Order: sequence, then structure tokens, then C-alpha cells
Amino acid sequence: MERAWWWKAALYGFVTVVAVLYLVPTLVPEEKQPSFIKSHFQKRIQLGLDLQGGLHLVYEVNVDKAVSDKVDRLSSDIEDRLRRDKAVTELNVTREGRDDIILTFKNPADAAKVDEALLKEYRNSLDLVDRNPATGVVRLRLDPDQVEEVRDYALRQGIETIRGRVDKLGVAEPIIIKKGSDIIVELPGLKPSDFERIKSIIGRTAQLEFKIVDDGSEYMKKAAGAVPKRDPKATLQPTDVDVGTEAWNEEDSGKSHEDVYLRSKSREAIEKFFAGLTGELALPSDHEIGYEEMQGRGEDGEQTPDRYWRTYYLHRRAALTGEYLSNADQTWDQNTGRPEVSFEFDRQGAAISERMTGDNIGRKMAILLDEKITSAPVIKSRIGARGRITLGSFGDPFQLQQEAKDLVAVLRSGALPAPLRKTFETQVGPTMGRDSIEKAKLSMYIGAAAVILFMLIYYRVSGLIAVIAMLLNMLYMLAILAGFEASLTLPGIAGLVLTVGMAVDANIIIYERIREELRLGKSVRTAVDAGFARAFWTVFDAHVTNFVAGVVLYSYGSGPIRGFAVTLLVGIITNLFTSYWLSHWMFDAVVGRRGVAKATLSI
Amino acid sequence: MAVQNQEQKFFEIIKPGTNYEFIGRSKYWIGLSVVLTAITIVMLFLNAYVIKSRGHWLNWGVDFRGGSEILIEFSRAVDVSDVRKALAESGFHDADVVKYEEPTGQKKWNYLVRVGAVSVVSEQQAKQIRESLAKIGDASLKRFEWSEGGDKIYLRYDRTVEPSVLGNSLKAIGVNTTQVQAFGRPDEHTYEVTLVGLDTEIRRSLDQRLGAGAVSAIPKVESVGAKAGNQLKADGAKSLLYAILLIMVYVAFRFDLRYGPGTVIALLHDAVITIGAFAVTYKEFSLTTVAAVLTIIGFSMNDTIVVFDRIRENAARLRDRRFDRVVNQSINKTLSRTILTSATVFFVTLAMNLLGVGVIRDFAFAMNVGVIVGTYSSIFIASPVLIWLNDKYAATQRKQQNRQARRPQRDEGEPEGV
Repeated sequence: MERAWWWKAALYGFVTVVAVLYLVPTLVPEEKQPSFIKSHFQKRIQLGLDLQGGLHLVYEVNVDKAVSDKVDRLSSDIEDRLRRDKAVTELNVTREGRDDIILTFKNPADAAKVDEALLKEYRNSLDLVDRNPATGVVRLRLDPDQVEEVRDYALRQGIETIRGRVDKLGVAEPIIIKKGSDIIVELPGLKPSDFERIKSIIGRTAQLEFKIVDDGSEYMKKAAGAVPKRDPKATLQPTDVDVGTEAWNEEDSGKSHEDVYLRSKSREAIEKFFAGLTGELALPSDHEIGYEEMQGRGEDGEQTPDRYWRTYYLHRRAALTGEYLSNADQTWDQNTGRPEVSFEFDRQGAAISERMTGDNIGRKMAILLDEKITSAPVIKSRIGARGRITLGSFGDPFQLQQEAKDLVAVLRSGALPAPLRKTFETQVGPTMGRDSIEKAKLSMYIGAAAVILFMLIYYRVSGLIAVIAMLLNMLYMLAILAGFEASLTLPGIAGLVLTVGMAVDANIIIYERIREELRLGKSVRTAVDAGFARAFWTVFDAHVTNFVAGVVLYSYGSGPIRGFAVTLLVGIITNLFTSYWLSHWMFDAVVGRRGVAKATLSI
Repeated sequence: MAVQNQEQKFFEIIKPGTNYEFIGRSKYWIGLSVVLTAITIVMLFLNAYVIKSRGHWLNWGVDFRGGSEILIEFSRAVDVSDVRKALAESGFHDADVVKYEEPTGQKKWNYLVRVGAVSVVSEQQAKQIRESLAKIGDASLKRFEWSEGGDKIYLRYDRTVEPSVLGNSLKAIGVNTTQVQAFGRPDEHTYEVTLVGLDTEIRRSLDQRLGAGAVSAIPKVESVGAKAGNQLKADGAKSLLYAILLIMVYVAFRFDLRYGPGTVIALLHDAVITIGAFAVTYKEFSLTTVAAVLTIIGFSMNDTIVVFDRIRENAARLRDRRFDRVVNQSINKTLSRTILTSATVFFVTLAMNLLGVGVIRDFAFAMNVGVIVGTYSSIFIASPVLIWLNDKYAATQRKQQNRQARRPQRDEGEPEGV
């Protein structure tokens, strides 16, 4: 054999060994895998939803509802202002379409009362479209940026919320992604009896609420006393509940606050603890426990990777919700230059906030989104229309800025809660999946067996080369799919079978060419080389066109169709490799070196 | 094996030197294609406007039509009409019930139920809900928001109502909810009602009317909002368009402009006739079918390219032959490959069609049709178009040469001599 042939042999051998290694985690049960496999190759081919059962949901953010609610509020707000502050008595406020507010003044002169000063207050949300002094009709329209902003924030928040909820449900390997303005949720391997519950949990609209923390309460001290004593030096086990204390001083009066809280790595553990408290220790009905997920910090104040949950003892009533917010931004503290969050309430919100914060200076105000506390800053002074939230004073400024931005996203999306609307749903029970696998496998085996038989009968030894190339193609394909951790769906299996068809086609094109060359009386060696050379562009073009169809399919398809496109695309690439180069190399072995080339070829 | 090179025997289906006449008879084949295309178009119209039991251009799957498709497994033998009746009594008047048969013939009582709705509440029921919830204690309903296909209802009252009270009132009139929660500002007294899933409701009502435990499982549910359905349809059409455009660009780049239109017309031809097969059989046309049509486009292209590659090669070699003869010869040269490949792909997909389930089956059916028309079109559609364009091209070139050339040298530019 020529030296180049041996080099190729080494290369192909290496590729094949790697491919086999990649497939071990998928094919061999975990307990039988050698340890080096476990440590280096853990990626496997997942079964798609249609094969293992599960839920596939597509949600669309109902921006229209959020926007319409917002315009509703703005219109009543502006009507209120005009009647109260500008002494307009005869005014009719109507809505047109989703975005327009029409103010009709009985006295046309009053239309001038919608002046610059008033509009400036609504500069972020409303645009003046038309003011007709003759008829007294003023048309205002919601700023188009607002609509886009709602969509953006709602989408981002929707994904975060769903992720949080799914994590809490403990679903293994969930997929939550954004596609255009849709959110796609894939939850494999669930019990059908859980579908309903999970759908209702996921589809709920997240609510943003502000609640006052009742610190220093007798109740929490009592509850903390009921926590089982544990060795303070022992490391906190995942289900252990621990007691913590914190203290801070009011900035102006210097009055000190002290609070007791519970903490644990598992929120459920704390929830279970409170649920188990009865009689005198039962949670008062006007209070509730809020949970915040904290980043662990070492003694030097630097963040540690572990996270835990801590409790806050909250007044149950939420007088202030996200809908009263009109704006939120990430800004910088002018004195310290640290990132902070500034926010604005609308008129009604400002009134409520003034009352609520004024009574609770020095206490903490918890910001809850979706029953989880995202932040609990101390109220330093009475907050009216505008407020600022300073994030912790230590830590990496970039990290803080990121936290500030996250909080802004929470506040903004909470300001206009856009409900999720389910637009697409597939749920597959596990038995359905199992039946499908069996039948798909059977059809695949029969198809492959027929092809192998045909190739062996028609092309004999060369047919065997084609069959080996085809099987290697299957191996490489599956290995790559395992490397991508791709999901194998029912259409994906169809894609695998089609790849077999393509492999056969490439071989047929090449072999027919070689036969033609042989018929012309060329020697075996030259015929093989010429056949491969002449067939190359034909084979290549055929692959490229299929590839194009596959790419379009991938970018358009969703769920199972995507699985089909992925297998097709991977198959096309590996197939070009196996059915052209690899089988050419095998031919070289069969045909022999130039000098001692065989006189005949079994083709 | 010990045969001399020159006389080496192969297992052949098409003997070398075979020269069937394809091009000369192509007008008959084109005629056939025109008829098939016409049948497709007529059938689409018949489906949409004439045949009452069909009523759509194609038998759109839920993913395009919108609505829900629920596979119900019964624990004992149940008649189709009983299922239909039970569903109608529960308010699903448009329910379409078919027996779901598995090719392996397992003894199961499976029914596929299709309803136009995606949520449990119909327009009529919505009105009913609105009326019965108009007053809850002292609070009166100020606004009722329900969008068809929505799984949620928004209720706004003039004062606070306990969410649990609302939930109970809904239950009292037979509307099951999974959750009722306050929504928006506290002073707006708005509540978000999440309704139970359609499958849960259907299972409940079937159990109620056909006896408890009648439904043993619901192995599969698929539901698509009407808007999403339209979106998917548009996306499907777009993807076909993009695939064709991209392939055209590639062909123009690899070959030359004369080769482009033939391939594209052949592609369209294949796509149309495959769709026609779905129009005639009224098999479900779903997302998977679009995937199959895209695959067929890829395959048909592949087939056309193999023939065209050979035509180009031969045309360069045999400059003195008439172009249509070159084409005919090239088709013959590639004929055994064409037949072998198409036959293998056909039989593999046939196995999938006969043994497969669900999507695989639909997919395989489309592929079966597509492989046949795809093979046929590269020979009888793409090639004649290429010849026609080539003749046109040659004719215009001659004209140009004639115009440029002075009279005495007029004969020089004649390339062909038959």
C-alpha cells in the first residue's frame, strides 16, 4: 500500500474510535460504563418529546392586553388630572383602537388645557397626535416605543419566570427558549397526570408586588426557636434549616433594627417547616413568608458560588403593585458612583407609596415577583412619585450593575404584566412514545436490510464497500448527534433513513461511472480513479442541494421538524465523507497498488 | 472474477448502449404532467367548494387549521357514534371523531378526536359565564375579557371579590378552572381565571357520560391557536419559496442560466403534484408534510442535477451533435443510476409507509409520491425545458452573429451540421 493510504487509514481509524467513544454513553447503561468514559464523554442523544413523552408548549406574549390595560390607566389618570387640577367639568374620554385616547371637551377652549406642562408629565408614554381647538377634540396616542418595550421586557421576563417555575417543579432537562416573539417550552418525560398542573403553573401571569417587611417580630423569634438545634460548625446540609440574624441602623434617626430569619439551601425545606407549625406557632393570617434566593458571601464579602434561600416576614396585604410604576431605569449614585435603580410611580401609585413608605421608614420593602423576592431594600425616606434603590455597598461594580439591570427588567415588565397566551401545545404520553420507537425501529431495520441486500447482490464486493461506508456513516452521524446532545425525534428517524437513501445514491452514481469506464476498456485502477473523479461534482452537487433544503427546513421548522433537519444536515456532511473519500480509500485497498493492481473488479 | 476486463460482466438492469427515445416523445409526457397539474388544481377547488364532507383545500392538520387533536384510548369497546354523541352533549358540537388504527392491528379502542376549539369555553358559554358572574355578592362585573382560543378569562369588578368565591361560582355553572388570581392593581379588582385544559375537560365529560373509567388514557394532545396556525401556514409557504430560490441560485452558479429554469419548473411540478396527491386522497397535510415536500424538492433537484451534469459533460464533448440527441443520450447513460436510486429510496420509504406510525407514515407517503414524480420530472420536464432554452439561446446567438458578420462571411458561424 502507498504511504498516503496508511495515513488515511490512521485518520479514519482515529475518527471511528472517537465516534464509538461518543456513542458509549448513549448505548451502554450507566453502571456498565468504564470510568474514563464517565469522566470524558457524558454527552448523549436525547429522545425527543414525541419519543419519550412530555410537553411542548409555545406561548405568545399577549402584548395587546398589556398595552390596552396601560392605555386604560393612562386615560383615567389624565381624566382625573384634568377634572381635578384643571377644573374641566365637561369632558368625555373615549378609547379608539388599542393605542388611542380621545378627549372631547364640551367647551372647545378647554382643549388648550392639555398643555405642554401636562404632556411633559406623560412624555414617556403618550404622544399628542392632534388637537382641534375648534371642536375641542384632542387625540393622544401611546408612544410606539412603549409597545416594543412591553414586548421585549415581557418576553424576557416570561422566560425568566417560566424557568424559575420549571426549576421549582424539578423537571429534568427542560428547554426554554425564545423564538421570535414566542417562548418555546419543552418538558420531556413527565407523567401525563402532571400535565394539567404544570401547564397551569407555567401559564400564570407573574405579578409584581411591594410588601413591607415586619422586622423584629415576636412571631419570627418564636418560630426560630422551634427550628431544630444543630451543630453550628457542621456544614449546612441541603435540607437543613438554619437561623440567621441581621441588623441595620436608620440613616437619619440612627434607630437600630434587628431581624431574625431562616435560611436553607432548599426553599421547600423552609416551606415544610412553616407548614408544620401549628397552634400558637402557626403563621398569622395577616402575614406571610417571603423567600429570596441569596448569593452566598464569604467573610471577605466576596461572592461564593453557593446559593441559599432566606425568609422575610411580610405583611400579607400588597397595596402597591407593579402596575403603578410608570418607569424604571438603571442610574448611578451621584455621591458614590455606584449603580442604582431609579423608578417612578404614577399619580395614584405615588399617593399609595407616600402613605406606605412614610409609615415604615427604616423598615425593608420587599419587591416580589412571582412569589419570590427579587430585592428587599431598606426604606430610607418617604417615597413619593420617585424613588431610588441602592444595591449593596460591597461587591464588584460590574456585578452590581448587572444586578441593577436585572432589577430594572423586573420593574419594567411588572409595570405592564403581559399575560402569556398559549398558541401551540403538544403533549405526548410515554406509552405513545414507546410504541412509536418500536415501530420506527422496525421500519428502519427493514429499510436498511433491503438496501444492504440490494447493494450486495447488485454490486457484490463493491456493494460490501458501500454497505460498510453506509454503516460507518450511521456511526459518525449518531456520534455527532450525541456530541450536539441533539434530540432524536420521530421525523429525525425518518431523516436517518433518508440518509441511508442518499448514501446509496452516492455509491450508485460512482459505481455506474466506474462500470462505464471499465466498459471503455480501461484498467481497473484507472477506471476506479476516473469513476471517482468524474462522479465527484455530481455527488457534491446532489449533497449541496439537499443541504440547502435542510437549512431552510431547520430555520423554519419547530420541534420535531427541527430534529429532522438536524439529522438530515449532519447526515449530508458525514455521507459526503464516507461515501466519497472513505469508500475511495477502501477501493484503493481492494484494487491494490498501481504496479500490482488487480485485473478485475467485482462491481 | 477471472474474466478479462473488456468482457467483464455486471449485474445490469439497463444494458449499456441502450438508447430509449425520451426526448422525441416528451410532448406526451408533458401532456401528462399538464393533466396531473390540472387535476391537482381542480381537486383543490373541489375540496374547498364542492365536496361537502371535505370543505378545505387540503386536509390541513391541526398545526395549520388551528384547534385541537386528542387521541383517546378507551378501556373497552366504544362506538364512534357514542363518542360523538357524548362529546356533543358536553358542548363540543363540531367534534370530529375517527377510529385511530395502528398498522400492527393491536386490539385497542383508540379514537382521534378533533375539535375546532383550543379552550374549554366556547363563545356561547362565554356569554353564559358573563351573565352568571354579573353579580358576586355586592360586586358587579364591569368588564369581561375573553378571547376565543384563550385559556384565560379576565374579570373586572367594581369592588374586591375573593378569588376562591369566583372559582366556586364558575364551578357551579360547570366551568372548571385551575386557578383564579388577582390581576393588576388592587384598586382595579381584576381577576385572572385560568381554565382547565381541553383534554382534561373532554376526559371528564366522556367519563361522566360513558361511565367512569371509560377513558383509560390520553396518549396524545396537540392544540394550535388559530393565529399560530395561520403563521405556520405562511411560514410553510415561505420556506418552500426560499428553498426553491436558494436552489436556483446554486444551479445558476454551478451551471449556467440555461439550466436554471428547467430545474425550477421540475421542482414546482413535483411540489404541485405531491400536493395534488394529498388533495385527491385527502390525507392530512401537516407540518411534517411540508417537511416531506422540502425533502422531495431536495431529492428531485438531486436527480435533475445528476442528469444535467451528464448533459453538460457530453455537450462539451460532443459539440458536433444536435443538442437534443446529447440530452437523450445523457438521460440513457444515467438511466440505470436513476432507476436504482429511485427504486431503493422508493422501497425504503414504502417500508416506512407500511410499518411506520403517525408522522413517519405521512412523511413516507409524501416521499413515495415525490420520488416517482421527482424521477419522472428530471427526464420529461427539466430536460425538454433545457433543450427549448438552449435552442432559443442558440437562435439568438446566430441572429447576433449574422447581424455582426458582413455578408460574405455569413456561413462561417454555423456550428451545427446534422
